[in-house]
Amino acid sequence: MRLRAATNQHSALDNITRQAAEWLVRLSADNTTSSDYAALLAEYEKWKQADLRHAETDEKMASLIGQTRQLRNITSNTAPARTAIEAGFTENRKRSHIKSVGAALVLVLALAVPGWLILQSNPPAYLLADMRTAPGKWETRTLTDDSRITLNSASAVNLDFDASRRVLTLVRGKILVDVAADPARPFLVETAHGSIRALGTRFVVSLDADATTLTMLESSTAVQMATEKKLQDEAKDKATKNVNGTIINAGQGVRITATGIGAVANIDARAVSDAWKFRQLVVENRPLPEVLDEVARYRPGFIRYDRARIENMKVSAVLPLDDPDKALQLLARSFPIRVHTVTSWLVIVDATDMLIATDTFRK
Amino acid sequence: MNPPDSITLLIDTLYREHHGWLFVWLRKKLGCPHHAADLAHDTFIRILSLTHAPCLHEPRAYLTITAKRLIIDQARRRQIEQSYLAELALAAETMRNFPSPVEILAVVEALTQISAALDGLAEKPRLAFLLHYLDGQTYAAIASQLGVSTRMIQKYLARALVHCHQASYSN
Repeated sequence: MRLRAATNQHSALDNITRQAAEWLVRLSADNTTSSDYAALLAEYEKWKQADLRHAETDEKMASLIGQTRQLRNITSNTAPARTAIEAGFTENRKRSHIKSVGAALVLVLALAVPGWLILQSNPPAYLLADMRTAPGKWETRTLTDDSRITLNSASAVNLDFDASRRVLTLVRGKILVDVAADPARPFLVETAHGSIRALGTRFVVSLDADATTLTMLESSTAVQMATEKKLQDEAKDKATKNVNGTIINAGQGVRITATGIGAVANIDARAVSDAWKFRQLVVENRPLPEVLDEVARYRPGFIRYDRARIENMKVSAVLPLDDPDKALQLLARSFPIRVHTVTSWLVIVDATDMLIATDTFRK
Repeated sequence: MNPPDSITLLIDTLYREHHGWLFVWLRKKLGCPHHAADLAHDTFIRILSLTHAPCLHEPRAYLTITAKRLIIDQARRRQIEQSYLAELALAAETMRNFPSPVEILAVVEALTQISAALDGLAEKPRLAFLLHYLDGQTYAAIASQLGVSTRMIQKYLARALVHCHQASYSN
């Protein structure tokens, strides 16, 4: 009798698992119109509420799906993830002799892997840079010419000073530069996108994957695209004497991309200056995804979101960058978003919209 | 989420009575006291994370099974980590954003769970799962790639989800 009851319970659980799977499969079917989808979703909610075990099973299953989908957002190329998943299968591991590895060696591997990992994920240019900061750290340094530079969180620069010029290459992140005047030696900040020539001045340069942003706080600079500069260097003659390029004055900002120098925009130099001084992020009417990207630079780990769902939210705020988690809380209080801390490394931000929330990430 | 009191109590008893024994057992098996101490600790952590109290007639057998599973999971994780890093290094040039070290750690964590969940599943359901949830392909696209109907893809996916669930949550 007891045995029979146990078997029945088992098959009931199997049934629930099967039903949960079928629901999730139906919910992500192709070409479902939004009204059909809403109806389906209502039915599905009813099913979940019918039994506590329904909801529990469904949640566990959806969380694995969420984790899998999440991988797509992290790396544009999913091939490495797929190969790695397959490498983990028991069959494949047996073949690769991993089982015969002794415990002592296992320990050595465990110790050795993190070093390799760090090397792999930081391109050497960043690792070998003359000055660099970790996420969440700032550093100010006075250079040999009395210029002062402040490296923002997770930034790196290379210095190349000689008798005729001072070149600072921004490899990653963001810097505030206070240039000491030296008429004999021009001061240049170079990035992958262009070259900024200072004329005794104070400014911020920020490097992203596809653009370099220059913000002028005092005086002015001349900006050249990387391609223009190359042409000029090839021409060889007036390379350092002539100040060519677009002049950017105090209170102005500009974006330099591989294709050109963007329109000059007005900025609030005082606010930017204060932001650096007090380590605050001052934003006005900027899309939430951009603000989240900015906050992400100041904390270890990463913040993920579905851009389409939150890009309509525009943020005007002053956020504390030395406490990025607090910054996230502040955002969560002012916008219809949910901030899920999955682990301290992974934070998922999602709009609190019932209909789609079920389909994306939960928990 | 607070674990129910019954589990806390159980762990407490289990820990007091058997932790020392488990450590000695692991040390003999692994030949390394540090690794053994970590694993003994992790074994209790894993039991703590259970939502239902295990029924324990043979506590030591239960502990060793849990510890053995942990060793297998760690081997899986290492294998995945190495494979992922090697693939990533190869793909580096084609990727716009190279993941940071912390991103990689989190990815490896997720890959390990997904890999354990999919382990032992037949090839087609597994492919359907990865093509849909990882690559974001539609049912129709996967159907034409695998040469079956979309109805079949739905069956494959349901089968994959059931398999994953059972692999991750049985006992």
